[in-house]
Amino acid sequence: MNKKIMELNEIEVWDGNMANSQALRQADVDVVAAYPITPSTPTVENYATMHANGYIDGEFVMVESEHAAMSGCVGASAAGGRVATATSSQGLALMIEVLYQASGMRTPIVLCLVNRALAAPLNVNGDHSDLYLTRDSGWISLDAFSPQEAYDITLMSFKIAEHKDVRLPVISNQDGFMTSHTAQNVKPLSDEVANKFVGEYLQVNAMLDFSRPVTHGVQTEHDWHFEHKAKQHAALMGSFKVIQETFDEFEKISGRKYKMVESYGMDGAEVAIVCLGSTYESAMLAVDQLREEGIKVGIVAPRVFRPFPLEEVAVALQNVKAVACMDRSAPGGTVGALYNEVAGALFNTPARPVLTNLIYGLGGRDMTINELKNIFRNLIKDANNGKLTGKIQTLIGVRGPELSFYEQ
Amino acid sequence: MNKSIKDKGWDELELGAVLFSFNNTVNYTMAEVLPEDRDYAETNSKNAYVGDWRVFKPVFNAELCIDCQFCWIFCPDTSIISRDKVMQGIDYDHCKGCGICVEVCPTNPKSLLMFNEHEKNEDALTQWPEKSKKGE
Amino acid sequence: MSNQKVIKNLKSFSTAAERFEGSHVLCPGCAHSIIVREVLNATNDNLIVSASTGCLEVCTAIYPNTSWDCSWIHIGFENASTAVAGAEAMNKALRNKGRISADTPQPKFVTFAGDGATYDIGFQWISGCFERGHDMMYVCLDNEVYANTGGQRSSSTPIGASATTSPAGSTSYGEKKNKKDIVAIMAAHGAPYVAQVAPNKWKDMVAKIQRGFDTKGPVFINAMSACTTEWKFQPHQTIEVSDLAVDSLVFPLYEIVDGTELNITYRPKNIVPVRDYLAIQPRFKHLFTPQYEYLLDEWQKRVDEKWVYLQKREEARV
Repeated sequence: MNKKIMELNEIEVWDGNMANSQALRQADVDVVAAYPITPSTPTVENYATMHANGYIDGEFVMVESEHAAMSGCVGASAAGGRVATATSSQGLALMIEVLYQASGMRTPIVLCLVNRALAAPLNVNGDHSDLYLTRDSGWISLDAFSPQEAYDITLMSFKIAEHKDVRLPVISNQDGFMTSHTAQNVKPLSDEVANKFVGEYLQVNAMLDFSRPVTHGVQTEHDWHFEHKAKQHAALMGSFKVIQETFDEFEKISGRKYKMVESYGMDGAEVAIVCLGSTYESAMLAVDQLREEGIKVGIVAPRVFRPFPLEEVAVALQNVKAVACMDRSAPGGTVGALYNEVAGALFNTPARPVLTNLIYGLGGRDMTINELKNIFRNLIKDANNGKLTGKIQTLIGVRGPELSFYEQ
Repeated sequence: MNKSIKDKGWDELELGAVLFSFNNTVNYTMAEVLPEDRDYAETNSKNAYVGDWRVFKPVFNAELCIDCQFCWIFCPDTSIISRDKVMQGIDYDHCKGCGICVEVCPTNPKSLLMFNEHEKNEDALTQWPEKSKKGE
Repeated sequence: MSNQKVIKNLKSFSTAAERFEGSHVLCPGCAHSIIVREVLNATNDNLIVSASTGCLEVCTAIYPNTSWDCSWIHIGFENASTAVAGAEAMNKALRNKGRISADTPQPKFVTFAGDGATYDIGFQWISGCFERGHDMMYVCLDNEVYANTGGQRSSSTPIGASATTSPAGSTSYGEKKNKKDIVAIMAAHGAPYVAQVAPNKWKDMVAKIQRGFDTKGPVFINAMSACTTEWKFQPHQTIEVSDLAVDSLVFPLYEIVDGTELNITYRPKNIVPVRDYLAIQPRFKHLFTPQYEYLLDEWQKRVDEKWVYLQKREEARV
């Protein structure tokens, strides 16, 4: 634990970035190697300020690019200590090769990813392009929908990453600007409680342990590569158990309960949307308002994006008649990621809801409660017809002629 | 622990494809303990064999050697064995037959010469050339 | 101040307990491993070593074999320097927090990287590390091409060399650009110590490596690595080629302290014509044809000018 303690109020007013910074501080990170990029910059700036005022004992290294940030993190992690960094969008894209290297090398780094659109065109606002870019990188990926959740999840990320049965890096996601720059009430844990929860760093194959010289980052030929990737995948899939245990332990100390798949209003819901990020919270209000009108709708959101909770998502959607998978990322010539995952989850089950893909909110375009209510109402229409009203994929909220793809 | 790495499945391999250099804990200054006193792991390349790379091999003539150590320092394959400042010979498991040792040997005739891989060392030593005169 | 081992002469040096093992799969005659052995044998300290993607990394850490008797890390092509910088930062952090006790002797942090990784793709990363002042030594294994992938040109490839992406032909003499002056660039970072070394001049090299290990802050060593495979000479000629390189002053041996104090550390008794150095390497053989032989004079001119410059700078102490 850091020598200098920060006395926090029972309720603080923090934006998502400050929530990250405080969680990093309480986790007593040994090395933060970072680079600024909107909208994650304040995570790093707040951390720098706390460091300059003696609240952080670890090393803080401002490197010359995001690729260098993650590279420094991998080197520091392999050396044998707790490591974290933060970035967004272009920075994430720049460090993407190192993400694959980090997970392949099983370095338990925590990345605070403040989700932002990917260029071109250049856009600094929130969408899930960068989140989606990390899909195959082999990292555990968790999504926070609010500053409170950003704080909680960033703290939990260390515990999950460093667990002896996991040893994989973890991304703590949150929406750029919508969460990162929106100040809300956050109930933090005290420094002592938070630090005790995260625990001491477990050294595994540390380079600084000179009693056991170790070679990290080998080359494997065709005769060895598959075994190591298989082992990595097995660890990623096996991390469900540790993630659930961490959620359970966190609930005990905070009273806040996290699930693999979050849901709201699904009891008796006829239709549902599947989404990520702050849209979830807007949708909660839409659900409540429609329920007052007697329209039963619900939301399902994978809290854990990777490893993907295929079975839980399938269970959550078994009884609805229509589902809209809402993807906040340019789909790149096919249906969106959530549509694919949900379709894949449902295919081997009896459930055959009408399944539609909505691309929305790119570059920080707002998704309002009214728009969500319309989406729900359209889903009800689809449910009653037993088939899609239009095509499978629609880009909604775009000025100009309607843009839909794929006939049912 | 005793299973060869070649027989291990994905579940038995060390995570992150890391490799250990030694079997047991090293509680000494590595740079002060000679290789023969170290407990090399199976996965240390010292236990691998590249002798089959050779077409020609260096043969060491101890009688002519002056222990200058040029061959020791310029061997790319850590295959010149020197102990207590005295040349011991060639490590034929690791020697690739590059011929640098022969090239840098300063004695006349040289203390190291290349011979065909199939030649027995005892035979090679009987074929050693005489001292070459200037201009030869 | 490290527990610097004293190396009086080659005989005493030969008592070193090797930490770089044989049966790596580098080419027979490869200068990389001669350099690595000299560096590792120059110290008794604990080491954390990184390497960039390249010949050294690929050939010494190919699963399931490792040739390293010290802890070692490879991440990627550009970031070997940053990998070790991260480890150096972690070492600092753990010591400050008391998780590594103050009596544990400080390890040395060393990066080995080829010229491709150093001059080109990894340049930003090294620049960052040096600007931040990490306590590390960066050794560039300079064989003047991307050797591991078959010999493509890098910004270290000297003018007139035939590389696979700057091949000599009927309308081209090969590489058109002059070799980047990496030592000057790294000295301009204000690094406390930078130097150029060659493995054949082992005494000069080991003295500089030891000085580098003794220097606090980032140290840059450019090590000439004559490549039998890509320069196309016979494997047994590696030391001979290196001798010609330093004796012709194509590869002068010098050091720069604190960015200003330049010392020439090797003055050949007999300076060899540059054409002798070029003649032994088939990668330059097209320069010995009527069409391109004018470049031989240009080569000599450039080498002479550089030598004059180095001497002037040495005298001027700037």
